[in-house]
Amino acid sequence: MINFFWASLFFFLAGALFYKKSKASYLLAFLGSVSALVVGIYALNSSEELFRMSLTPNVSITLGLDHLSALFIIIASIAWIALSLYSVDYSVFYPKSNLSLGFNLALLGMMLVLSARDGFSLLIGWEIMTIFAFIMMVISGLHYEKAYRFLAFGELSTACLLIGFALLYQSTNSITFDALSRGGSVVLIFLSLGFIIKMDIVPFHGWMRGIYGEMPDNAAAILSGPVTLMGVYGLERIIPVMPINDTWNLVIIVLGALSAFWGGLQAVAVNKVRLLPAYSTIENNGMILTAIGFYALAQSITNPDLHYLALFAQATSIIIALSHTFSKTLLFMSLGHAKEAYDVHTIDEARGVWSGVGKIPALGIVVSALSFSAFPPLIGYVGEWMILETLFQSYKFPNVSTEFIAALTGVLTALAIGLIGFAMIKLIGYTALGYDHGRKSRVISNRFMNSSETGMLLLILLCGVALPAVIILLGFPQLLTSLLDVPAPFVLASNQPIFGVITPTLIFIVLIVLMIVPFILFISKRTKVRKVTSWNGGLPLEEEEYFTARAYSQILEHILRNVYHTKEVRTKSRSTIEVEDIMLRPMNWLTRMVEKIGEGEALVLMNGRISAYVAYILLLFIIAFLIGMAVM
Amino acid sequence: MRLLAGVIEIDGKEKLLMIEDGVARLEPVESQAQREEFGCYQLLKKRELHLRRGSVSGPGVFRFRYGPVTAGVREAGCFNLYTFGEKILHAGIDVSWKHRGIEEAMSNKTPQRALALAEAVCSNFAFSHSVAYARAVENALHSNVDMGVQNWRNILLEAERIYNHLHVITKLASAAAQKVLTSHLSSLFEEALRLNEILTGSRYLMGINQVGGFHHLPSLENMQHAINGYSLIAKRFEQLYVHSVNNANYMDRLHAAGTITADQAIAMGLSGPSLRACGVKDDLNTTISHLIQLPVITQNEGDALARMEVRAEEIMNSCEYIIDHLKISDAWNFNTDEATKSIRENGEGCGIANSPSGAVAYYVVLQDGIIAHARIFTPSYVGMHAAAFSLDEYIFTDFPFIFDSFGVHFSDAAR
Amino acid sequence: MLKWWPLFGIRRHLTEKKAYTSPIRLQSLYGKLFQRSLFIYILDVGSSNALNFEISALESPQYNIHRFGIYFTDSPRHADVLLILGRPTELMLAPMNETLNQMPEPYYVITIDDSMDDLPMSPYPEMRHHVAQLKGIPSPSELLGLLLELIKNKRIAS
Repeated sequence: MINFFWASLFFFLAGALFYKKSKASYLLAFLGSVSALVVGIYALNSSEELFRMSLTPNVSITLGLDHLSALFIIIASIAWIALSLYSVDYSVFYPKSNLSLGFNLALLGMMLVLSARDGFSLLIGWEIMTIFAFIMMVISGLHYEKAYRFLAFGELSTACLLIGFALLYQSTNSITFDALSRGGSVVLIFLSLGFIIKMDIVPFHGWMRGIYGEMPDNAAAILSGPVTLMGVYGLERIIPVMPINDTWNLVIIVLGALSAFWGGLQAVAVNKVRLLPAYSTIENNGMILTAIGFYALAQSITNPDLHYLALFAQATSIIIALSHTFSKTLLFMSLGHAKEAYDVHTIDEARGVWSGVGKIPALGIVVSALSFSAFPPLIGYVGEWMILETLFQSYKFPNVSTEFIAALTGVLTALAIGLIGFAMIKLIGYTALGYDHGRKSRVISNRFMNSSETGMLLLILLCGVALPAVIILLGFPQLLTSLLDVPAPFVLASNQPIFGVITPTLIFIVLIVLMIVPFILFISKRTKVRKVTSWNGGLPLEEEEYFTARAYSQILEHILRNVYHTKEVRTKSRSTIEVEDIMLRPMNWLTRMVEKIGEGEALVLMNGRISAYVAYILLLFIIAFLIGMAVM
Repeated sequence: MRLLAGVIEIDGKEKLLMIEDGVARLEPVESQAQREEFGCYQLLKKRELHLRRGSVSGPGVFRFRYGPVTAGVREAGCFNLYTFGEKILHAGIDVSWKHRGIEEAMSNKTPQRALALAEAVCSNFAFSHSVAYARAVENALHSNVDMGVQNWRNILLEAERIYNHLHVITKLASAAAQKVLTSHLSSLFEEALRLNEILTGSRYLMGINQVGGFHHLPSLENMQHAINGYSLIAKRFEQLYVHSVNNANYMDRLHAAGTITADQAIAMGLSGPSLRACGVKDDLNTTISHLIQLPVITQNEGDALARMEVRAEEIMNSCEYIIDHLKISDAWNFNTDEATKSIRENGEGCGIANSPSGAVAYYVVLQDGIIAHARIFTPSYVGMHAAAFSLDEYIFTDFPFIFDSFGVHFSDAAR
Repeated sequence: MLKWWPLFGIRRHLTEKKAYTSPIRLQSLYGKLFQRSLFIYILDVGSSNALNFEISALESPQYNIHRFGIYFTDSPRHADVLLILGRPTELMLAPMNETLNQMPEPYYVITIDDSMDDLPMSPYPEMRHHVAQLKGIPSPSELLGLLLELIKNKRIAS
């Protein structure tokens, strides 16, 4: 196993070195990801320490793997495999930029994070990941200012982690993960805040709006899937071992639900093809955060029922993380494929992918978007059922305030699922399944793109259909039971022995029997069939008469106009509807303040006069002199 | 008051067909000031088949085409509604699907033959069209029309008004899902059509009016039957109307739907109930100065509710009018067999009639007793333009109320 | 005191009891297929509007067509009978053909020609199952008789 680990790091470095030849570079990234997957599979049942280097008597850099890291390495590396393979073809659209440098090194950083055993190595990996993601953005031609926003939030997360680990060192004299159990509440808050910011929870999602529309899709997929997965990993690592703080647990539950709701709400109103998946990431991560919060809350109480609920909540968070990573990767890949083939930016312009671009990207969009809309038998359905079920089972908590907050969370989560379903239907209906109006897409080489999309598609379907296997692999065999004559392991139970749901496996079997077979019988007996165009008052529909994607969501934008601040901009012959994400207002205000203060400060301090600079030198001399005097 | 009913342009010479104090007059156009006096001059001069052409663009704005085969409106015509989702930003109506070229068909026909064509423009306004046409021909030939004929024409104009208004209110009630009201109004509508048949032998009052005379008159027994029928209609309709006005749901659907101000209505050339609902007293029914005067009903709001209320009161007044005048009609003695004497065989003339939805105006030029030119100005033409205008900025749910409240028809607008 | 709408006129019997006869004889092509219900789609291609009013009159309580199972539909795809009013203008030929294209088998076509010979209207194209061609403006009783003949429904109130 050690060899595979070092091999993967080596492949990533090599890929970064050869960044000039992008195809070779991405293939090296692919090899690195495959090695990582092998490492993960090995480490699923055996923990091992891989590397140790002492810096000071108390601090050393330790890399090692255990069951939790292995899980996340498997999930992340599957996404990396798909994306690196996809990028082999996709890099053609960004020939001048050297994206593969940032790509490979970001993957390296993530590998370090997942195999870190102490705070120092975690921080090293964290920073590598953030900085090279930033470099990916800058290289792809994005204006500096927008990329700085991402960096600002990334560094905020790092700063929180730094403070957390520093406080941990201060109280326990060590920053390995074993020392976490002796840390205090403040450490918990800072560390989890750092991870939460990385998960793009509202209100830390502000950097997305300017950037997502213009980044290349493999970079966007990396930022949405694996990078936020790191935040989830961090939370999963610290929550079981750190001392309980019930108030903080409730705070993160509410934050998660709010984030889920806000993500769904804004996803309904966006029109750019890439922003919709970005808001869906916020929504899913919100649900993961809620699940983690319940896991922590349920663990703290010694009721055996709640112990089962804790297990269930933990499984929920991991399954949603898995389904989100896979589905988001597939969605970005397919949308990127379609978008680049058509060379457009908005949903309305990207219509008719099935007939205009190709069947595989269209199928990719359909399957991943359906997975987000909780459509059985896909894996997304399981995740969303499990989070709702966790909220239902919260009646077991002993105190009323917890139950009340759980009810509120349930309302927000249900709304979120409804809204994201609406948004996903809009996406599928217009891009994948819409009429193409004779649009021509440019010819691109798509062998690698198609193969990685197909692979991801089959994996999502497989994970859903073979869910019991997945759950056993994740390490939660207690969740599969039998109920009411449905044999084990086809029932996923949220409460022993009362309540559960049929796993998608059984649904899939029933579908085959009740749908496929009758369909075949029907096809074989077909009488004469006449095909006609849709009925539209006797005349064929022209393109300008088709219902637009914006009109589809305008109804919700009008009903919720107070939340969206919907405005109509109208002249005599032109009309537009504008909506706003009001959670971005604080961030925008802050940005403007920083700019003003920075400018003002620069004008005052760096005023170009020699006398001022001489005065600064003199001032520093005096301060150094005084400090030297104080030390001695 | 002066209303512009039509603009005629033949061989480069323009004439205005005016309605002044209820009488039709032709005015040659000599100055630009005459053209600018009326806002509807251009509209009436061009006589387009695509009303309110224009578009709105923008991201997400698309054109919702309703027609030409629709299930709601059931006539062949197309609505082009520009919208970004729910609100109608701009409405345009395309009436060209029903253009049958009746004006061209009238050339080189005898006046009697052309009268049948006039009735075919819009058969539910058949009588008003035939009366306007007959008046135009009589005006051109300087014929003297018997007073009895004029009286009977006015009675039957009111009969036509009753069944058309009942039809409009039935459609409004049906759009508001007032099922009981719709069924009862529908039965009254059918009764009115049967009374038409009793009075004239035709359910749509077709084939009874002639140039200068009447084809036949109803017998005394039929007249008595009609009197009973109309009093029953008036009584039942009043009951229904009082009930419906107290239904907040129904009133709410009609209130503030498709509001137009009096100035806008005059500028668009409206006449009839649509104009009267804005508070403007037009004097289309003052042509019969020697008979009991029909009151001019006006409302003030100018919305669909006001137009419905004007029509409702006119129904009840018209029923009373018909009953009163049928009772005294046997005093008007005239011979239906004799055609009235006409002095000339050449000439030009104009005539108007008070159709249920406004003024219908005809202009004819006769040469050697044959129609050389004919121009038809229908109330639905300006009415459709006004309906399209008033649809702007309303949502599609209000569409049936706004459109139906104007009482306009595609066959009438397209000729 | 206003009476509650559902009770309004509840004792009034508006449906007339009359036998309806068809103005023309026709050969019913499908036998008793439409005996339970008959769905009609109205297509106006250039009539002078009297026929539209006659259809509205046919929906009144005096005729009460629902007791025979006769209904009007909103879409040609749900229709058994296409009732074409008037002779087509030139512009309406394409929509008319498209409507015919959308009718599902089995169906009938009935045309009512109320146009005058002087007008330049197009002739009817060749249509399948064109079972009745009426001229002029038939009254609703005659139309109802024709429709009853079409479904060979013996349930005529006497």
